[in-house]
Amino acid sequence: MSRLDEFGPGERRIVEAGRRSIGVFRVGDRFYALNNHCPHQGGPLCLGRVAPWLRSAAPGDYRVDDEDALLACPWHGWEYDLATGQSFLGPGEAPVRTYGVSVGGREPGPYVAETFPVHVEDAWVVVDTATRGEGSA
Amino acid sequence: MSTAVGTGAVDCDVHCAPAHLDELGGSFDGYWRGYVRDAGLALSPTQAGAYPPGAPTSATPAAREAGLLPAAGTVDALRDALLDPAGLRTAVLSCTSAFPVNRNPYYEAALTRAVNDWLLERWLARDDRLRASIVVPTLDTRAAVAEIERVGSHPGVVQVLLPVRTDAPWGNVRHRPVLEAAAEHGLVVGLHAWGRAGQAGTPSGLTHTYVEDYLTNSQVAAQAQLTSLVTEGAFAAVPELRVTLVECGFSWLPALLWRFDKDWKGVWREVPWVAGRPSEIVREHVRFTTAPAALPPDPARIREVLELLGGTDALLWASDHPHDHGPGGRWLLDALTDDERAAVTRDNAVAWYRL
Repeated sequence: MSRLDEFGPGERRIVEAGRRSIGVFRVGDRFYALNNHCPHQGGPLCLGRVAPWLRSAAPGDYRVDDEDALLACPWHGWEYDLATGQSFLGPGEAPVRTYGVSVGGREPGPYVAETFPVHVEDAWVVVDTATRGEGSA
Repeated sequence: MSTAVGTGAVDCDVHCAPAHLDELGGSFDGYWRGYVRDAGLALSPTQAGAYPPGAPTSATPAAREAGLLPAAGTVDALRDALLDPAGLRTAVLSCTSAFPVNRNPYYEAALTRAVNDWLLERWLARDDRLRASIVVPTLDTRAAVAEIERVGSHPGVVQVLLPVRTDAPWGNVRHRPVLEAAAEHGLVVGLHAWGRAGQAGTPSGLTHTYVEDYLTNSQVAAQAQLTSLVTEGAFAAVPELRVTLVECGFSWLPALLWRFDKDWKGVWREVPWVAGRPSEIVREHVRFTTAPAALPPDPARIREVLELLGGTDALLWASDHPHDHGPGGRWLLDALTDDERAAVTRDNAVAWYRL
């Protein structure tokens, strides 16, 4: 879908594959591809903003990861994990003691956005729409 | 009084008020007595318009006939009007006389100390059915904490009563030490209708009619405070914090929480310390007294309201004596099952206030 040297870190492309619209995201040297269709109400998911994981141990405390990991649908702001498509609707209800340990303790949301494997082949970024849900390369 | 309330109930909002500043005892030293005299200060008989004597909401006909405006001034009067005829197990006293105090922070501290001493000496010491909400200064956080430390460990004190109208919402971090001190002393924080005269009842400014003010307490002001406490992370910072909204209604809650949960999902990133759905935080940390109860008369429709509320766990029965908010509270009790009525009129309060 793109030459590698024309697709820089932090960029995204929306590509058409048959009747599908697919968003491809480059975060650092990793690529992610998701169906541009929010499983909540069908919004154009891949037009939304991307953001890193964010954790807090107390009011006023913020710990932000370095890399973008979540994609927010522009319609309701609901976020999806770029790698797995798992929806995330705000921090989970785990007790305070588990904060700041890991991403564990967060409550997965009810939705999973469709994801596609992405490969780099001969300096081209290739999205595989034949197989689904196997994450990113 | 509702005939549906059985004996042994816990009444979570029973008003009392000193008739005059002269009734407040030794906490008012010579300086403050001189200040009151020289400034011509008095306790407002309407509590700065909160309870206008001509408004039907200010007193039930029976309380009006007994002269209990703005509220009972002595234990004997309250025994005759409420404690004995209702067969109450416990009455949680609310004294809002110091709410409309002037803006002198030192006078406010002296007045709230005097009100608390009056509550302990003239009320708690004279009837073991009584429990007190203490009042604290709103303009000086350190003085408020000091007052909680001074009287908050008294076994009859169960609550710190704060006005629902404030200069800044109670969730604001500047107020956090007050909430922490209450929690450390095992006390509930009660947010009660009204506040200082001149504090805007609405975010769009000051009002000039009683009906606007009356409605504002139980709608705009209470919802703003609840939203503030959750959003600013008061319950995350003070996990033991328990808050009761007193005389602020409750039937508005489902609409607020539905929207709160929905919007939090989209903008949680701004407040990542809100570590769960706002509705869950409220369910764990907040209770509501049943007066006023803005409800329809049809029991089937009241059941719909209760379903939206997620049951009756959040409700604490209150007569709000001597105030008269109409028959909604009675309709509520009539629509409950026996078990629910026992919970709302007694067990919820016993657990919440650790009675």
